[in-house]
Amino acid sequence: MKPFIHLSDVSMLYGNNGTIAAALRSVSLAIDAGEYVVITGESGAGKSTLLTVLGGLQVPTSGAVSIKGVDLSALSADRLADFRRETIGFVFQAYHLLPYLTARENVMVPMSPLRAGAREKAERADTLLCSVGLCGKEDRLPSELSGGECQRVAIARALIHDPPVLLADEPTGNLDSATGEQILDLFSELHRSGKTVLMVTHNRANLSRATRSIRLRDGLVAEDGPLMAPYQAL
Amino acid sequence: MNIRKLAWKNLFRRKSRAVFTGLGIFLGIGTFVAIVSLTARMEQAVQDKLDRFGANILVVPRTEELRLGFGDISLGGAQVAHARLTMADRKAIRSIELSERLRSVVPFFLTAADASGKDLVWMGLPEREIAMARPWWKMSGAPIRERGEVILGSEAAAALDKGPGGTVTSGGRKFRVAGVLQPTGEKEDGMVIADLGEVQALGKNPAGVTFFEVAALCKDCPVEDIVGQIGEALPGARVSAIRQVVESRKAAVDQFRRLGMGVSAIVLAIGGLMVFVTVMGSVQERTKEIGVLRAVGFRRRAILSLLFWETGWVSLLSSILGALAGLAAAMLASPLFGIEKAGVALSPALLGVAIGMGLGLLGTVPPARRAAALSPTEAIRSL
Repeated sequence: MKPFIHLSDVSMLYGNNGTIAAALRSVSLAIDAGEYVVITGESGAGKSTLLTVLGGLQVPTSGAVSIKGVDLSALSADRLADFRRETIGFVFQAYHLLPYLTARENVMVPMSPLRAGAREKAERADTLLCSVGLCGKEDRLPSELSGGECQRVAIARALIHDPPVLLADEPTGNLDSATGEQILDLFSELHRSGKTVLMVTHNRANLSRATRSIRLRDGLVAEDGPLMAPYQAL
Repeated sequence: MNIRKLAWKNLFRRKSRAVFTGLGIFLGIGTFVAIVSLTARMEQAVQDKLDRFGANILVVPRTEELRLGFGDISLGGAQVAHARLTMADRKAIRSIELSERLRSVVPFFLTAADASGKDLVWMGLPEREIAMARPWWKMSGAPIRERGEVILGSEAAAALDKGPGGTVTSGGRKFRVAGVLQPTGEKEDGMVIADLGEVQALGKNPAGVTFFEVAALCKDCPVEDIVGQIGEALPGARVSAIRQVVESRKAAVDQFRRLGMGVSAIVLAIGGLMVFVTVMGSVQERTKEIGVLRAVGFRRRAILSLLFWETGWVSLLSSILGALAGLAAAMLASPLFGIEKAGVALSPALLGVAIGMGLGLLGTVPPARRAAALSPTEAIRSL
């Protein structure tokens, strides 16, 4: 049976001023549904590139990526956008909330192109905001929220379509350690609810929540193995 | 939350940019509507004024040249008229299908008669229609106000050595000189001008008419049609348009139109460029935001739609405001351009709104395509 997420011999090359740099070199990975994978490595190791390739944001120079049995390279740009919306939730280090929208409206943004009723969308957004601990703050603008609260809004936004996969790029990178812990708790909860979580991080302390760790070095998988006793910290 | 609301919210967030984008369209459409409205009214005004300024159709009896000779000896020739014109023909001219286009039909009668011992040409036309038939005449003295008065052409006055208040005798009658024409450079300078009835009496031809001058209001109507209809009404007459007059009127009006269109085109091009520049700037500024939208599942079409809705709102609002401002400006400026009837013309305003919308959306095409083509990763960068 094919793995839930499968990378086969994926390479990603960038050309810059006549020189070619390899961000990923023949990376092959198989990730099962429900795994909580932490991707670590030094700066420039290829972590973020791996995440963008996994999320269908970039097409690899060579190799194949499939999620839920769907070969991403076979999808058109629009089908890939639909696939991302339905299957993958993104959480960014800098939250990337739209500053002119309230927390509720930010959570609803991925549903904007869809023909769902406004009330239905708002109810779903409010439920998600409550589930990430932001009950009563639905009408606040990002500028009126703390960093941790903004990241919670971003997580709620990533969950609006109830995607099976969550991709997070340094989600605690802009937060203090206490707030970062709370966000990691939230990811652990999501993992326990059945989501497949892939998180890029510099911080090896984040490993304590994961079931598997992948370490990249110079675009190659340097280490890949299961972690013992997840949620011990809980 | 939907694309329209997202666009609307973003506009409110970037009010100054939206105002700047709208300003280009507002000024462009305002200028366009004002110029088109003014040009249209000026065309009408110029046409009216030109129509008032003399006749453009001449009706004379049809004649044939009769050559006289004996063998190789030529004895010259003579013009033989098929039929004489009479006052009854005036009614026939007035009865044509396009009669509502006829501003005036003025009968003229010419005859050679004695004037205080000198043979001069007398020109008769209805005294009440002199001002309409010859609005460019300038004279010392006064126009004819009653029977028994005449106007002398400048050369005739010199020949008779008469001025306003003097007397001219003819056919045993005395005529008072009401005024003397300033030189016109026309044959009228050598004539005695009097009321039609009196000249007809001098010429012993009470209902006779030498020619009719017809002033036709010819905006958007071919003068040839009127000429044809008068020709049908008067088979014995030769009817001809005074081409020089018709063409010069057309040229004057066309020049106004061309000037208006040229200025409008330049202003609209500048407006379109402003839209292009501001929307392009907006796309640059929002690259990251567009990347996030793409990452969370916005199709390219949704990004295009978002930008088109944004510009659409701005274009619609600023076009309507611009059109209203243009109409107001045209109304206010009308007296400055000698336009007497300043009405509201809706068609330039509607056209202006349509052009404004088109311009706004057209100016958005290149930046919107660029935005839609952005790679989510390149856009976000920090990912």
